[in-house]
Amino acid sequence: MKSRWVVGGGAHLEHAFSAWKQARPEENVIKVEVPQREDYSFDLTVLDRISEAGGSMFVAFDERFGNFKRMELMQAALERGFKLESFISPSAVVAKDVAVGLNVFIGAGVIIGTGSRVDYNCVLQAGAKTGNDVHLKSSCWLDIGVTVGHGAEIGAHGILRIGAIVASRVKIGRYCELGWPRVYEKDIPARTVFDTRYEEPICVYGE
Amino acid sequence: MLSKYYLSQEIFDREQEKIFRKVWLFAGLKTLLPKHNSFITRKICGIPVVIQNFNGAIRAFENVCLHRNALIQGEAVGCRPLACPYHGWVYGEHGEVKAIPHREALYKIDDCEQQQLKLREFPLEAIGNILFISFNDRPFPIEDQFGPGFIESLKSSSSCYDGEVMVTTLHGKFNWKLAYENLRDSNHVSYLHRNSLARSVMFNTPVDSGLAAESLQALANTSKEGMRAEMRRFSYGGAEGTRENPLRVPFQDMVERWGDEGAYYNWLPFPNVHIASGDGCSFTLEHHIPVAPDRTDLEIYWFTTRKRKPYAFSSSNLLAKMHGSCLVVGEDVAIMERVQAALHPYAPAPTQGAYEFMNRLVERWYTDLMETDHEI
Repeated sequence: MKSRWVVGGGAHLEHAFSAWKQARPEENVIKVEVPQREDYSFDLTVLDRISEAGGSMFVAFDERFGNFKRMELMQAALERGFKLESFISPSAVVAKDVAVGLNVFIGAGVIIGTGSRVDYNCVLQAGAKTGNDVHLKSSCWLDIGVTVGHGAEIGAHGILRIGAIVASRVKIGRYCELGWPRVYEKDIPARTVFDTRYEEPICVYGE
Repeated sequence: MLSKYYLSQEIFDREQEKIFRKVWLFAGLKTLLPKHNSFITRKICGIPVVIQNFNGAIRAFENVCLHRNALIQGEAVGCRPLACPYHGWVYGEHGEVKAIPHREALYKIDDCEQQQLKLREFPLEAIGNILFISFNDRPFPIEDQFGPGFIESLKSSSSCYDGEVMVTTLHGKFNWKLAYENLRDSNHVSYLHRNSLARSVMFNTPVDSGLAAESLQALANTSKEGMRAEMRRFSYGGAEGTRENPLRVPFQDMVERWGDEGAYYNWLPFPNVHIASGDGCSFTLEHHIPVAPDRTDLEIYWFTTRKRKPYAFSSSNLLAKMHGSCLVVGEDVAIMERVQAALHPYAPAPTQGAYEFMNRLVERWYTDLMETDHEI
């Protein structure tokens, strides 16, 4: 029986593990929790105990630290020679020509329109809807039910939280967080954060 | 202080005139002006200001076009020539009008008239990477406001500020003076911040009996020079608290460290800035902008020390810092709003202890300035 290791941590590990288990009953789906130290670094010794020859891996970690922690785990898996696959829920409606990168999670009821591209390490939670010709750059996180209009582009490591709607043809820069439930009608500069705990956007300038 | 100083619009207007339009005020960070035509825009004392780099020379002007009063630079931070987007008037590095499209045909302005047109320029001083502006027609030397040791400390620490800067603004419902009083009172930390800042940093609360006694006497020298000399005492900084265990931050190998390991640094440039560094690898700068007697905007900046080389997750580091500090700032804002909400014209005068000698000295100076014709 083929082994599939779902590795990571937190609530997203649980979601991804049960999604894989339901979708692939014929596989030996194994959940592997990667512990974090006090300084948030991963203790990767659990990965060293797995033989890459016996199956494939999926990295499941939430959007913490701008999706960089999930990317860090994904890189650790690749460096160890693991084969990474993407998960596409059987109930998702993904147009045939959509290009999906490595380690992408496409949850239940997700809709992805024709001509779109979903780069590696993106997570689309249940019910997320993206129009035609959308480009989700690497390591994005689309929370439950968010909407991305036709031709829009979400920069790398973008986080779209519940209630976010990105209008058609809008470009969201890299490392943005759209946490205010509202329609984003204009392009957003890179590294802009809309967090409900703050009254004004958090902006980053300079290099 | 008596409640009227936190409630009265007339006093608010008076302090804008007698303090804010006289002293040197925080204007921005030089690190955001790295090249020709880099600019930042601000509204300080109600005046729209643009600070721009002209081939290395940094100057401050009123950000209002002389033609039809449009803002010349519209973004908070950017890089473009000093040119009005409305009708294309172009300004030079001294605020002079360099070009007016269709000047002769449409405006009938001759060379001589054009030469008379010049943006209002404001004095600007840099202490390391920190810019200060003055709206005083006859600005006094910045050394009259900040002592040499303080200037040196600001210069040394700010020289290692990185160029990547995170900023947001909180809108506080309190008078700006509550912020500086709160910052000059380290005794509140172990109560108000017992579950946040006090968990990792220990602050001493010194009692200077000599200064406490002095604060009860009348100000001896109320000349301009004397008032400035007194004000100079209100700005101080350096290592204030200590960490039980020096903080290890995940990005410390990515940046050049500043200061002593294990020390918590605080700088308090009077009247309305607070700079702190708790780990020697990053700084926060709070700018408390008076908006109304019961309204203060808190601009909060975060930046690390200079990066050894660029790395992808640098803005995520800043965001983690911002969220952490906003927990502490949020506690401060909540208590200051609670104080402000309790104020009324007949509220009792506060009972300040000896440890609050610095706030008492500020109060003595401030009330003298507000209630007499004395100036700074």
